[in-house]
Amino acid sequence: MRLLKFKRFNFFYDPYLLISIIFLSLIGLIILYSASQESSAIIIKQSIFVFFGIILMIIVSQPDPAFYKNLSGLFLIFSVFLMLLTIFFGSEVNGAKRWLDFGFFTLQPSELIKIALPIFLASYLYDKPLPINLKDTFFSILIISISFFLIVFQPDLGTSIVVLLAGFYVLFLAGLSWRFIGSSFAIFLLSTPFLWNNLLQPFQRQRIATLFNPEADPYGTAWNITQSKIAIGSGGISGKGYGAGSQSHLDFLPETTSDFIFAVIAEEFGFLGALALLSIYTFILFRCFYLSLNARDRFCRLTIGGLSLIFVTTIFVNLGMVVGILPVVGMPLPFISSGGTSLLSFYIAFGIIISMASHKKLIRQ
Amino acid sequence: MIDLQERFIERRSFIYRLFLIYFLFGTFLLLILYQIFQLQISNYSEYEIAALENKTHEMNIQPIRGLIYDRNGEVLVKNVPTFNLISIPNKVNDPNSFIDDIRNFIDITLEEEAIFYEKFKSKARYNRELVIKRNLNEQQIASFEVRKHNYPSLFVEKRYSRYTDYPSILSHALGYIGAPSDAELSKILSEALHPRQETIFSYGNGFISGKTGIEKTFDNELRGKFGEKVYEVDARGRLLKEISIKNPEEGKSIFTSLDLGSHIAANKALNGRMGAVVAIEIETGEIVTLFSSPSFSINDLSNGISRDKFNTLINSPQKPFFNRALKGRYPPASTIKPAIGIFGLENKLIDWNFSIEDPGFFTLPEDGRIYRGWKKGGHGKVNLNKAIVVSSNTYFFSLAYRSDINKLGDHFSQLGFGSKVCIDCFDEDPGLIPTPEWKRNKLNSGWSLGDTVNLGVGQGYMVATPIQLAYYSGMIANKGFINKLSLIQNQEDSFSELIALDNFKELDWNKLHRAMTDVIDSPAGTSRRLQDLKSFKVAAKSGTAELVSLDSKEDYLLIRENEEQRDHAIMIAFGPMPSPKYAVSVVIENGESGGAVAGPVAIEVLKELIEQ
Repeated sequence: MRLLKFKRFNFFYDPYLLISIIFLSLIGLIILYSASQESSAIIIKQSIFVFFGIILMIIVSQPDPAFYKNLSGLFLIFSVFLMLLTIFFGSEVNGAKRWLDFGFFTLQPSELIKIALPIFLASYLYDKPLPINLKDTFFSILIISISFFLIVFQPDLGTSIVVLLAGFYVLFLAGLSWRFIGSSFAIFLLSTPFLWNNLLQPFQRQRIATLFNPEADPYGTAWNITQSKIAIGSGGISGKGYGAGSQSHLDFLPETTSDFIFAVIAEEFGFLGALALLSIYTFILFRCFYLSLNARDRFCRLTIGGLSLIFVTTIFVNLGMVVGILPVVGMPLPFISSGGTSLLSFYIAFGIIISMASHKKLIRQ
Repeated sequence: MIDLQERFIERRSFIYRLFLIYFLFGTFLLLILYQIFQLQISNYSEYEIAALENKTHEMNIQPIRGLIYDRNGEVLVKNVPTFNLISIPNKVNDPNSFIDDIRNFIDITLEEEAIFYEKFKSKARYNRELVIKRNLNEQQIASFEVRKHNYPSLFVEKRYSRYTDYPSILSHALGYIGAPSDAELSKILSEALHPRQETIFSYGNGFISGKTGIEKTFDNELRGKFGEKVYEVDARGRLLKEISIKNPEEGKSIFTSLDLGSHIAANKALNGRMGAVVAIEIETGEIVTLFSSPSFSINDLSNGISRDKFNTLINSPQKPFFNRALKGRYPPASTIKPAIGIFGLENKLIDWNFSIEDPGFFTLPEDGRIYRGWKKGGHGKVNLNKAIVVSSNTYFFSLAYRSDINKLGDHFSQLGFGSKVCIDCFDEDPGLIPTPEWKRNKLNSGWSLGDTVNLGVGQGYMVATPIQLAYYSGMIANKGFINKLSLIQNQEDSFSELIALDNFKELDWNKLHRAMTDVIDSPAGTSRRLQDLKSFKVAAKSGTAELVSLDSKEDYLLIRENEEQRDHAIMIAFGPMPSPKYAVSVVIENGESGGAVAGPVAIEVLKELIEQ
């Protein structure tokens, strides 16, 4: 617990997370400048997001965890309401309806559900005896399913999988019975062909097929993976130098400022640069691991655990996609990729983690 | 609420489960690190090359073709820079209105328009350029330049044209260039550094290769080597900047043995009649004249010709594309007589004093069939010398009658008949020496004595090309040996051919030369009318090749109404005597009289060669 006492109010923070996230954000801005081919417009916009994101993170870390516990239901209902608005009023980009356009700012409500869902489940499950009984399990699964299907039909496979996982992380950490896990896993395996044929869009199936055989069609759907691998591989040990990546600067690499920004880092800073970035992420994860083990109560434990696992899942889905061992799904690299709501959602998530970690339980009150 | 015991169990379960998940992620992290290691360290060089190939775009630069010179250093074929109006059909929507638009500021002829429409579709499909108008003048360039922003699919560029100042005179010898066939193109491109990349053209026609003549025979030497230009490109293939350039290597120039002046003289002397003139330098076997008439403009053929104009040429009954000098098959007629004489002396069938009585015809003893001479009443008492000078058919009928046909065939073949005599000519016809075996296979009938008799005056089945006649003429002039013919000056790997003769000696050669000189210089000679046309002595033998076998002069007067059935005029000659430098053969189709019609042409060419 870290606490700065001022005359009028107390300031709650965690120095390790605060410093490493601010540091990561600044590195992100520097890399984004090169990845956007020195576009000042993108950098100014991203700087504004980073600035307000850090302030938001600090603000969000001030309330007591009880505040989140009590209001988690409202947060979730509000997020689902925004999702429903998106279905009717969302702006369509490339056949997907994911955004609510507020003129000065486009909001992606699925990014909010990503946070609201695990907090709600933590607040629902924190006082349930072990193992979680069938009724609570089904209720949790119902909530998870509603959130999941609202997103999967946007369509947004990447985010929906993260939301699905976020829900199950909390359910699992809260003590889901092994028997239930075993039997539902068996059902999942059996229903895979059905899911493949009915749930996935053709382009999503294509992306997964591409993963297993990228060389079969290097200039078609596999273009992204092929170019990403070339970018990473040609970086070598120490990289081509800042701003000197040919793959990113000559437009061979797709989505350089968002999904494939790791390839830019690997191309320009090489293996050493990639290791350095992974080290920072690993440091943050270990800190979250430590904080969740030492959280003040079960609700905080579950929330820190759930939110930090969303963070690590996002990182690994992105890296797995960029290095070519997972299918191509839209997934940003947290604190590095450009992007509005997704970036802000991680500042909010870490704000809540810091809140959970830095507020001691006020037993005497 | 759950109690303390349960809280302890719950916390332990949480730690256990979180640790499990982190362990799984740790494993996954190792997997990602391993993959990054594979990409960046293990397979670095492979990906480094892939990235380099991505960002570079190589283009071949077409080499400039070598020049073709005549034996005196005169340029026969050169590359002329022209400013061409070039379109990119792929970017043109409506070719008709496109041409109409251009007409507003540059005149497009109907022929140019026709070529444009003809090639538009295929050029658009393969995204190739199409030349609309060649040789823009300064005013045309200027009027395009001020409007060019309106025409993204048009540009003016300097491109070379293959060009000769003597397009019709040398067309058959030089040949023309054209678009290579698929096989030729893949061979040409295989010599480039980047066979599968696009090419920056130096020629208005794009890829070119020799199609006929010297352009074809020496295509490899003339072509040169491709250069390359390397650009940096982005993912859309846009060229960003030039990284490096390697200039193409110009093709080798060809120094031919051809003499420009003699072609001009031959052209003037033939004056459009169908025929051929071949002249060679006796000492070297170099071809100095290789002329066929009528002709066509190789500039047109090489640089674009409309289909109409081409069809007119190819459908012309005069067959202007037919290279008569190399492929025309003519009976040698009386020009064969010196060869028969050499055969008679060598085989001791006759000597110089041996004479016969010529009544104007020869009767085949076996069946009494009559073989007529060209002069009614005959030439009286005739020996070999007189037989050559007056061209007595009876003498050579009877000599051939006494000859062994197989031995005679060998003899002809040593003189160059029946096989190709030039080592580097394009598409030469070997002619034909008829033999009993040939006749059995080809005509399915036996050899008759009459066939041999006909051979004595160069009629019947035997055919020779003008270049064979020139070779034969040179062989006689050089007294029995000569180099195989070639179009290249100072040919290093030339080899000499000779006739194997035991009984025919230097003295016999001199007598033969004297007899052939008398063909012109003797008052009785068949070509005595040529005497005054020259200031040096020329040995010659004329011939008149009959196309229809007839029994009397009256019959011929009937058939000569039809020009195509008139006799071919033939002449072989060499001079100046007594030490000849050049040998020449002339064939004029349907020219009728060898001495009177083909003779002056031969003299004009020899004069040009000797007196220039």
